[in-house]
Amino acid sequence: MAGFMQQIINGLSIGSVYALMAVGYSLVYSIMNFSNFAHGGVIMIGAYIGFFLLAAYKMPFYVAFALAGAGAGLLALIIERVAYSPLRKRKAPFLYFIISAMGASIFLENIVIATIGPTFKTYPKVFSTQPITVGSLSVGRLDLIMFVISAISLAILIFVIEKTKIGMAIRGTAYSVRASALMGVNTDHVIMIVFGLGGLLGGIAGMLFGMKYTVYPQIGFITIKSFIAAVFGGLGSLPGAVIGSVLLGIIETLTSGYLSSQFRDLIAFALLIVVLIVRPMGLMGKFTEDKA
Amino acid sequence: MDWFYIQGILILAGINLLAVLGLSLLTGFTGLFSFGHAGFMAIGAYTTAIMSVKLHLPFIPSLMIGGLIAALVSLLIGKLTLNLKGDYFCIATLGLGEAIRLILDNVQYLGGARGWPGIPLKTTLLNVVIIDIIGIIILVNLIRSKHGRNMIAIREEEMASQIIGINVFRYKMISLMISAIYAGVAGGMLGHYLGFLQPKMFQIVKSTELTIIVIFGGLGSISGSVLGALVLTSLPEMLRTFAQWRLVVYGIAVIFIMISRPQGLMGGHEFSFHAVKKIISSMFYRKKQRGLGGR
Amino acid sequence: MKKRIMYFMFSVVMIVSLIAAGCTPKGTPDTGQKAGEPEVVKVGWIGSLTGDQAVWGQCELNTVKMMFEEINAKGGLLGKKVEVIGYDTRGDATEAVNAVKRLTSQDKVIAIIGPNASGQAIAISSVLEEMKVPDIATVATNPKVTVVDGKVKPFNFRVCFIDPYQGAVAAGYAADVLGFKKAAILYDVADDYSQGLTEFFEKYFIEKGGQIVAKEAFKSGDVDFRPQLSKIKESNPEVIFMPYFFKEVALSANQARELGINAVFMGGDGWPSDVLIEMAKDAIEGSYIVNHLDFNDPEVQDFKAAYKAKYNKSVELNGYLAYDAVKLLEAAVNKANSLDPVAIRDALETASVKGITGQINISKETHNPEGKDAAIIKMVNGEYVFQQKYSAK
Repeated sequence: MAGFMQQIINGLSIGSVYALMAVGYSLVYSIMNFSNFAHGGVIMIGAYIGFFLLAAYKMPFYVAFALAGAGAGLLALIIERVAYSPLRKRKAPFLYFIISAMGASIFLENIVIATIGPTFKTYPKVFSTQPITVGSLSVGRLDLIMFVISAISLAILIFVIEKTKIGMAIRGTAYSVRASALMGVNTDHVIMIVFGLGGLLGGIAGMLFGMKYTVYPQIGFITIKSFIAAVFGGLGSLPGAVIGSVLLGIIETLTSGYLSSQFRDLIAFALLIVVLIVRPMGLMGKFTEDKA
Repeated sequence: MDWFYIQGILILAGINLLAVLGLSLLTGFTGLFSFGHAGFMAIGAYTTAIMSVKLHLPFIPSLMIGGLIAALVSLLIGKLTLNLKGDYFCIATLGLGEAIRLILDNVQYLGGARGWPGIPLKTTLLNVVIIDIIGIIILVNLIRSKHGRNMIAIREEEMASQIIGINVFRYKMISLMISAIYAGVAGGMLGHYLGFLQPKMFQIVKSTELTIIVIFGGLGSISGSVLGALVLTSLPEMLRTFAQWRLVVYGIAVIFIMISRPQGLMGGHEFSFHAVKKIISSMFYRKKQRGLGGR
Repeated sequence: MKKRIMYFMFSVVMIVSLIAAGCTPKGTPDTGQKAGEPEVVKVGWIGSLTGDQAVWGQCELNTVKMMFEEINAKGGLLGKKVEVIGYDTRGDATEAVNAVKRLTSQDKVIAIIGPNASGQAIAISSVLEEMKVPDIATVATNPKVTVVDGKVKPFNFRVCFIDPYQGAVAAGYAADVLGFKKAAILYDVADDYSQGLTEFFEKYFIEKGGQIVAKEAFKSGDVDFRPQLSKIKESNPEVIFMPYFFKEVALSANQARELGINAVFMGGDGWPSDVLIEMAKDAIEGSYIVNHLDFNDPEVQDFKAAYKAKYNKSVELNGYLAYDAVKLLEAAVNKANSLDPVAIRDALETASVKGITGQINISKETHNPEGKDAAIIKMVNGEYVFQQKYSAK
C-alpha cells in the first residue's frame, strides 16, 4: 500500500510538470487550431534564461523567475511575428504552421547547442533537496513547490480568461476568429496576447523543470509528452490539459510500477488511442471543424 | 565532388523519395497529416531484412513482403484512428511510430536497441531509380483516376464529399495503406543500403523530416515531392562544413521557405513548361494563385 | 511585387552560397598550414556535434584537433602536415554513412577516427571496406563493431574495451570483491550501449551466484525515474547497476536517495564527468565505476591540463580515448612507414602503443585492444578515487 501511495505521489509530481507545459499548447491551439511545436523550444529557452540569471548574475529567485517567464513570453511573441503571422495573413492551412513551428524548434535547439554548448547545466540550489518523509513515503520539497506554483499560475490564467475583458476577447476569438473580428475585437492583438501568455507559462515551466531536472538543449523533447497530455485532455481546453497531464503522469507511473517499465510508453499510447476512439476530441476537447 | 559520394546521396534521396511519395498521397492529396511514417518504414525495414536474412528470399520479393506487412499494420491502425480529426489523428500516428520503435527496442531476436548488423547490401542506384520510377508512374495514374479525384475532393471539402456519396473513410484508408506500402518498401531499401538496422534510425525526427519534404515540395504535387526529396536530402550534406551550425541554418531555411513560399516549390502544380512560365511570371506579377496555398 | 523579387533573389543567393560552401572541399582548415605547402595529409573524424551525444562528440573533435596540432608542431606524420576534417553525424547511422562516403571519396582521408557510438560504427563498415580506409572507433563498445558472425571486419578497429568485458568486470567486482548477492538493474531500453551492458552484467552476475532482484527500464529522454526506483526499492537490492550516461545517472541517483534507497550504485564508462559530481555529489558517494583509466594517474595530468588551457573546459572521458586513437594511428603510420590507407590498416592489425588508458595491443583476430585492464573507481568525497586495476576472468 505504501508503495502504491508513493507511486501516486510520483505520478502527481510528473503530471504537474506536464500540466504547465500542456497549458501553453492548449492555449495556442484554442485560438489558432494548430499544435505549436515551437513551444518546446520556448520552454527550453525559459529554462536557460532562468539558469543564467541565477547562476551567472546571482539574482534572487523571484526576479529570475519573473524574468524567465517574461523572456520566454517575448520569444514566443517573436516566433509568432516571424514564423506564423506571415502565414496567417495568407490564410495558409494548419500544416504550414506546424512545419514552420518545427523549423523554429529545430532552430532553437541547435542555436543553443552551437552557442551555449551541448552540456547540461545544473541550477544552483535554491531550495533544499531534502525530501519530506511521512512514514515510508517521501515527497520532494521541490515537487511541492512546483505543484503550488503550477496551481497558482494556472489559477491566475483561468481567472484572466474567465473574468477579464481580455479573457473575454480570447474566449470569443477561440470560438470564432471571424465573428470576434466583426464584433470589434482586434484579433491580431488577441493572438499576440495568447502567444505571450503561452510563452510566459512555458518560461515558468522551463525554469521549474530546469531546477528539478537540469537544463539541456533537448528539453523540447519532453514536451512531446505534454503535447500528448494536451490531446488526451482535449486540445483547446485548459482544464482538459491539466486533467490530461495529471492522468498521463499517473498512468505512466502505475504502468512502470505495476505492469512493465520496458513497455511503459506502449501502454500509455494504447490507452491514448482507446480514449480517442471513445472520445475523438479528447476528454474535454472543444468540437471544431478542421480549418485546413 | 566525387561520384562515390554523390551516388550515396542520390541513393538516399531515392529512398527518401519513395517514402515521400507515399506521404505525398496521404498529406498532399488526401489532407491527412502523419507523424508515424518512420514507424511504417521501420516495419518494412525489419520485415524485409527478416525475409532476406533469416528466410533467404531474394531482394525484390522481400521488399514486397515488407511493403505488404506495413500495409497490414496501417489497415489495422487506420481502422481505429482515421475517424479522428487533424491533430488528433496526427498524435495517434505519432504514438504508433513510437510504439513500433519501442517494440523493436525490446525484441532481442532482431537485435533490440543494439541494432542488427550484417544485412546484405543489395540496394544500388539502379534498383532505387527503377523502383522510384515505378512508384511515380503508379502514383500519377492513381491520382489521375477517379479514385485520385475523390481523394482530392476529400482534401478540399470532406463534408461535401461525403454528401455527394464519396466513401470518405474508405478512401482515407486506401490512401493510408498505399502510403504505408511506399514507406515500407523505402524502409526495406534503407536497411539493405546501410547493411545495418537500429530502431534509433526511425525516430519521430525521421517522420517529421519526411513531412517537411512533402510540404517543401508543395502539397498536391508529385514533381514537387521529387524535387523536395532531392533538395532536402542533399541540403544537410551541402551544409556539412558548417559543423554544429548546420541544423541552425536548416531550421531557418525551413521557416524561410514556409513564410516566403508556403505553397512549396511546386505549389500544387506539376512540372511542365507552362507551369515554369507561370511560376516565373508569378514572381513578378502578383496573381491569385490556385491550389492549396493560395486559398 | 518588390518583396517577391527580393525573396526570390535572396533564395537564389542562399542556394548558390550553400552549394558553393558545400562543394569546396575545405573542411576545417585549422592546422595552421600556409599556402604553397602541398604536403598535407588529411585525417577524418566523425561523431555527434549536434544532438544528445554532442557533449562527447565535441570533446573528441577538440582532442583530435589538439593532438594533431601537437604532431604538426613536431613535424607531422612522416614529415607531412596533417589536416583534421571533422563531420557531424547527429548521432544518426545514415548520416554517418554519408559523412564517411564524403571523407573517403572527396576528402581522401588516410584514416578516420570515431564515431563514439556503436550503431554508427557498425553502419559505416561497408563503406570503409569498399573505399579501403581504416577507422579507429573511440568508445564504440558493441562487440559487433569489429567482429560479426565470427568474422573480423578488415577496416574497423577500436581502442576501448567491449561491452561483455565491461559487464563481466562490473559483475565480477560486485560479486567477488564487494560480496554483493542481490543486484537491481535500471537501464535505458532505447539505448544500445545500455542494453549491451545490462545483458552482460546480468549474465555474469548470475553466473557468479548472484541474484537479479529487479530489472527496470526507462526510455532515452526520460528525466523522472521514481516510478522505476520505487519498484526497485521494494525489492531491496544491495547494489543497483546503472549502465547509462551521466545526466541520467545524476538524476536517477538523486531521486533514488530522495526515495530513501541506500543501496550502493555501480556504473560503467558512461559515468565519469565533472558534471556528474556537480549534479549529484552526495547521492553517488560510495559508488563504484568501471572506467578506462585512473584520472589521477600522473601520466594523464599533462593532457588534462593542456586541454583545459586550450578549450577552457574539462575533458570528458571520450577525450582520453580519442587521444589514444590518435596515438594508435600515429604508431601505425610510423610502423607502416607509409601514408597509404591500406598499409596503415595492415600496420594497425598488429599495432601496439602505450596509450593514456593503458597499453593498447591490437589483436589481429578481433581488432580490439586485448588484455586491457579496467580501472575500478570509487566516489569518495566528490572525487574519482582509483581503487585497483581489475580484469575479468
